[in-house]
Amino acid sequence: MIQSIHTSVSSNFLNIQNAYDFVSDPAHGAVDLFIGAVRNHHEGKPVTGITYDIHDELAVKEFQEICMEAQNIWEGIKIYLSHYKGKLDVGGISVIIAVSAAHRTEAFEACRYIIEELKKRAPVWKQEHYELGNSEWLPGHSLMANAAQLEARLLQEDKKTQKSSGGCGNGACGCGGRK
Amino acid sequence: MTEIAIHIKLFGAFRKFGDALDFSVPAGSTVAAIKKVMSEFIKGKESTLVFDSVLANDNAVLPDNYIFEANAKLCILPPVCGG
Repeated sequence: MIQSIHTSVSSNFLNIQNAYDFVSDPAHGAVDLFIGAVRNHHEGKPVTGITYDIHDELAVKEFQEICMEAQNIWEGIKIYLSHYKGKLDVGGISVIIAVSAAHRTEAFEACRYIIEELKKRAPVWKQEHYELGNSEWLPGHSLMANAAQLEARLLQEDKKTQKSSGGCGNGACGCGGRK
Repeated sequence: MTEIAIHIKLFGAFRKFGDALDFSVPAGSTVAAIKKVMSEFIKGKESTLVFDSVLANDNAVLPDNYIFEANAKLCILPPVCGG
């Protein structure tokens, strides 16, 4: 079976050709490519580089989930998503997202969806390095809301399971015991 | 009361405190209680950042009312900013 999603976290420099080759498909007339790169300034401060810290397992899992959501919305697309882990100088490539589709609209829209969701949901953190030699971890998007959504979803699933299996809901019968 | 061992891997802004924190809490503690204990170990502005962060295991983010009955290996995920 031909894979239609590739996700990874890499400590090697990211390769644009690999992304293009993965999504390239004779049935697809559009390839949209997003490249995130380290810029030399942030809020008026000269930046010399960024260190990317990542929880590898959870990040790949979240990347996969985001890509599957995109495929549910835009059927038939192929997706390559890779994020760099480690230190990059200005101009270094931090993330590559390639999406191919039969037509350009879905390729553009899916690519935009994936990068926006990644920024809100993936466990990735940036430490900026400045000309004076100091560094700072950047503020970001709290995952508290995501945890609350997950909790609501699990409660729904628990209720369904209890209805179908007669589970107790507090773990006494081995049904998971979530509060 | 039974004590359980909690191991928390640190990421992002918490890295300056090392790779991980280890401490004990009473069995039956929630994620919220563990975050409160952790905030006492963490000094400076990161102390309040604990409450904007989530705890996770290697599979999923855990809600604040999740209960621990046994030793646990966790990680703390501060607000994210990839891309």
